[in-house]
Amino acid sequence: MPQRRHLGAAAVLTLTLPLALAACGGGGSGEDAFEADPDALQIYSSQHRNVTEAWAQAFTDETGIKTQVREGQDASMGHMIVEEGDASPADVFLTENSPAMTIVERAGLLAPVDQETVAQVGDGMAPSSGQWTAIAARSTVLVYNTDLISEDELPTSIMDLAEPEWAGRWGAAPGGADFQAIVAGMLSDQGEQETQAWLDALADNAEVYQNNIATMQAVNAGEVPVGIMYHYYWYRDQAGDKEGSANTKLHYFGNQDPGAFVSLSAGGVLASSDMADKAQQFLSYVTSSEGQQVLVDSGSMEYAVGTGVESDPALPPLTSLDAPPVDPFTLNSDDVVTMMTDAGIL
Amino acid sequence: MPASFRAQSVGARSLGARGVAVAAALVAALTLLPLLVVVPDALSADPGEAASYLLRPRVGELLTNTGMLFVVTVPATVVVGVAAAWLVERTALPGAGVWRTLLLAPLAVPSFVSAYAWVTVAPWLDGFGGAALVTTLAYFPFVFLPVAALLRTLDPGDEEAARSLGLSPAAAVVRTVLPRLRPALSGGALLVALHLLAEYGVLEMMRFQTFTTAIMQQYAVGFSDTSSSLLASVLLTLCLVALVLDLLARGRHRVARVGSGVQRRAVPAVLGGWTTPALVFLAAVVALSVAVPVATVVRWLLHGIAEGDPLGADLLQVTLSTLGLAVLGALAAVVAALPGAWLLNRHRSGLTLLLERTTFIASALPGVVVGLAMVTLAVRWARPVYQTVGLIVLAYAILFLPRAMVSLRAGLAAARPELSEAARSLGLSGLAAFVRVVLPLVAPSVLTALVLVALAVNTELTATLLLAPTGTDTLALAFWREASELDYAAAAPFAAVMITMSVPLTMLLRRQILEER
Amino acid sequence: MSELKILGVSAGYGRETVLEDVDLTVAEGTTTAVLGGSGSGKTTLLRAVAGFLRPGSGTITVGGRTVAGPGTWVPPERRGVGYVRQDGALFPHLSVAGNIAFGLPWPRRRHHDRVLELLDLVGLPAAIAERHPAQLSGGQQQRVALARALAPRPGLILLDEPFSSLDTALRTATREATAQALRAAGATTILVTHDQGEALSFADEVAILQAGRFRQVDSPRTVYREPVDAEVAEFLGDALLIAGSAADGSVTCRLGTLPAHGYPAGDVDVMIRPEQLTLTRPGAGGLDAVVRDIAYFGHDAVVELDPAGDESRDPLRSRVLGVDAPALGELVGVSVVGRVRTYPRVLD
Repeated sequence: MPQRRHLGAAAVLTLTLPLALAACGGGGSGEDAFEADPDALQIYSSQHRNVTEAWAQAFTDETGIKTQVREGQDASMGHMIVEEGDASPADVFLTENSPAMTIVERAGLLAPVDQETVAQVGDGMAPSSGQWTAIAARSTVLVYNTDLISEDELPTSIMDLAEPEWAGRWGAAPGGADFQAIVAGMLSDQGEQETQAWLDALADNAEVYQNNIATMQAVNAGEVPVGIMYHYYWYRDQAGDKEGSANTKLHYFGNQDPGAFVSLSAGGVLASSDMADKAQQFLSYVTSSEGQQVLVDSGSMEYAVGTGVESDPALPPLTSLDAPPVDPFTLNSDDVVTMMTDAGIL
Repeated sequence: MPASFRAQSVGARSLGARGVAVAAALVAALTLLPLLVVVPDALSADPGEAASYLLRPRVGELLTNTGMLFVVTVPATVVVGVAAAWLVERTALPGAGVWRTLLLAPLAVPSFVSAYAWVTVAPWLDGFGGAALVTTLAYFPFVFLPVAALLRTLDPGDEEAARSLGLSPAAAVVRTVLPRLRPALSGGALLVALHLLAEYGVLEMMRFQTFTTAIMQQYAVGFSDTSSSLLASVLLTLCLVALVLDLLARGRHRVARVGSGVQRRAVPAVLGGWTTPALVFLAAVVALSVAVPVATVVRWLLHGIAEGDPLGADLLQVTLSTLGLAVLGALAAVVAALPGAWLLNRHRSGLTLLLERTTFIASALPGVVVGLAMVTLAVRWARPVYQTVGLIVLAYAILFLPRAMVSLRAGLAAARPELSEAARSLGLSGLAAFVRVVLPLVAPSVLTALVLVALAVNTELTATLLLAPTGTDTLALAFWREASELDYAAAAPFAAVMITMSVPLTMLLRRQILEER
Repeated sequence: MSELKILGVSAGYGRETVLEDVDLTVAEGTTTAVLGGSGSGKTTLLRAVAGFLRPGSGTITVGGRTVAGPGTWVPPERRGVGYVRQDGALFPHLSVAGNIAFGLPWPRRRHHDRVLELLDLVGLPAAIAERHPAQLSGGQQQRVALARALAPRPGLILLDEPFSSLDTALRTATREATAQALRAAGATTILVTHDQGEALSFADEVAILQAGRFRQVDSPRTVYREPVDAEVAEFLGDALLIAGSAADGSVTCRLGTLPAHGYPAGDVDVMIRPEQLTLTRPGAGGLDAVVRDIAYFGHDAVVELDPAGDESRDPLRSRVLGVDAPALGELVGVSVVGRVRTYPRVLD
């Protein structure tokens, strides 16, 4: 018995030693030092990881300025920066949807974006406050399973999905910031009463999925005939093996319907940044034709917003989508969260 | 009697022992930190608003969901765990040794990896059904392990006595064996219950919402607002209720073997015609809980390789940083557990009792509550530690202190104080006695504790999601990110590494039940 | 080897005093058995001598050196006091040789000769030197523990109920081996036990400890034959207590007039050991009695007797050799051999 225990101890030791060695190795390699690098530009990003990293990498290659990315989710990260206040380690903030940026803007924590940078993006792609700028855009779509529903049976407005006939027949990911941005657009366009009624219906009617991709795959698998999502997940899957979208098509509501809402991804520079020049330089790079081309080449299928840069040819032109006339610069996701909480969705 | 001797023996009055007591008290306070942060934060909410937030249908729905999961998963794990343990330990089942290992193997598969496998194999399986299935398959070893260990050591004398008093074999088992399994059963069921309350990955993938998923969602929309503290307080209350239920279920009766004499092994029951059904049952359990996830991971791994997904460098980097965190977390938890474990073994007093209770409560803290508390704490009151590796290591130490404690206490129990005394009466100083007697005896359990905690850190998800410092990625985070985007091929390598690294855990646990004879 | 002197030692735990003002001297090279029931304070005494418990007052000297006393406290490792516990307390991670050599200075730990010498001393074969404690029987473990304690040549050996966890046959053998080894080593020894036979047979002197005080310290023969009071008498073995009247070195009771020592004159209690009652032909002893019951043990037998013609009197008990056991119902004479012990009257 005791010899056996010694054997066991030896076994445990041999198992633990590599762990300890690895720890030393991991700590020493510098690149993965478990802490923010004080020399690097700190990018807080709730944008997609591959897009952010493509930008950061290209920017570092071009300028030699080191970057470090902290990933997060839209509203969570916006509130995080607000909590951090003047002490925030962040220099730049990139979002998936503009409401996360307006959280920070309302707290007065943003520095005005360089005029040259704003000039690089299309008209209406930066708020009149000049506090931030769009860096990409995405459109709301209805994905539908062609085996389960024909095109003429589709709803003409996103508001129709609140009708009883759609009970249990549509999917959405209301827990995600994407959906909350869509609702923020709806709130701005349709007013509180309509939106609350629609959310109440959603709580009863919709199948809830964890995110856009899960919604799309559920529609593709025939769990529900239609689902609300952003366009680019579908185009990405179509460009790949189509495993999650082969049985589906996209329906654009158009007609300035709340369901045709176009959401802007935002970029801003923190007023508290201790490397504000480099931060402005980064934002300028992201919106430049070069930076926008990085976005297009990343295969994310989001719309480019820089002037003179073509989005992926597979996408219908942004200008053809007939989006509703909402001011993307005033969207308030906190109000949406409150309304969704009242509806029992959160 | 010996306990009271120890309580007042010479060493107890020394400065060293006082230092240890102070250290242990500090650790206890640190352990309760999550409660001290989350509960006051929740209480700081306007009572009316808090009430209207908590007393709404949505919270009722979360409670119902949690309750439903409890009602199905806890009994299911008990039935599967006890049946498997009885078959392996008390019957003439062919290949019992192999089955024993296979039935512990699910512990090497992180539950969220199991959920990922089931989602890809059977996409129609979601919501309550999927959640109950995957949690049952992932958690039944928590019941199997203690029950099997107990059945191994349980003397068949009681059963024989009951038979000679006129009871049928079945009645003898029900009236003598089952009551003695009570503490093991109730302890196992408690572990299942606490894991259910803390589970995030499985339930999120299965689209089944409980308090933990709701807290994560609240974090996503509001960072560290009071709503999440309110939800966390409810979760915490449920955990403490589970703890109290366990205490009640355990009972106060003595279940240890009474009387002396050499203990015997039970004669294995002959299964006869039941052999085949028994084998089919065990094979099904192993297939569903181990084969499905492992095969799925391998399949996606091969799929990814065929598609030419580049993984090498990134995977290595993530693995190394996970190992780094695991080692730091393990060291922190073990160092934190040492003074308390030592006091509990050597100097029973009011303080040590308090310490024991504290550890007990800490064992019920879900990762999400600890993570949230650390975020709240750092952001509001301890800004310098915010987003540092120190904070996440502290969270790991709090979360996994009970594991380290259990292991260390077993080791210190082996290094009985009598042995130190014997060494000293042979002319060794206190320090020399520690080096030559205590250390060699405790070392294996210290290493066991380190490995147990390191492996737990390896697959920790919720606290890591909330606390990972900028620039730090872990296997669990990377897996979760890819799996959330439903990129199964990209997630597979991280799952494969996590499973591979968890295999030693299974070996370790198997060795423990084999040696507990 | 060293003489042990304990002078006015009081010790206890917290506010509770277990030992009260005890004195004890163990002469160099002799063995004293401390005999006491559970809770009498015998382990406390050993721990105070070994250095694991600091006495509240009093002085302990080992070989003339004060190890505990006012302003003096020598830690256990510098006392040169060996301590063998009830369970042996062998180090489970070390072999037998490793255990025995444990207390030796480093250079000598490497050499096996001292280990073999000690194994021989405690009567164990050299072959077990490489075994681990878990592979030994209880008796072997105890002998190894003794060898380990003897290895550094301590001035004093303390044995804390070392045989109590062994079964009867093993106990006797281990006890004999231990006594032999201690004699050969010339060790000064304290044996703590609750077993009267063990104390009487093992030690040069027996110290009766009750409720934290020594009631009597004497040779085994004296404490058995001449216990200081009836309580000690009964603690040491079966005792018959009957009323009598003493005068001039003899006592008159229902068994006749018997030679006595103890309380000089007047009403007394008479203590007679059952083996002092011998059975004779009826009429030949001081009293006739009918055999009411016999517990036959082979080597001896305990006979319950009803004094004849006097039903109201309590029965008597006699221990006779097995070969002399009478038949049930037989009428026998009862006489007393040797002196009896008398105490001031407390019987009703």
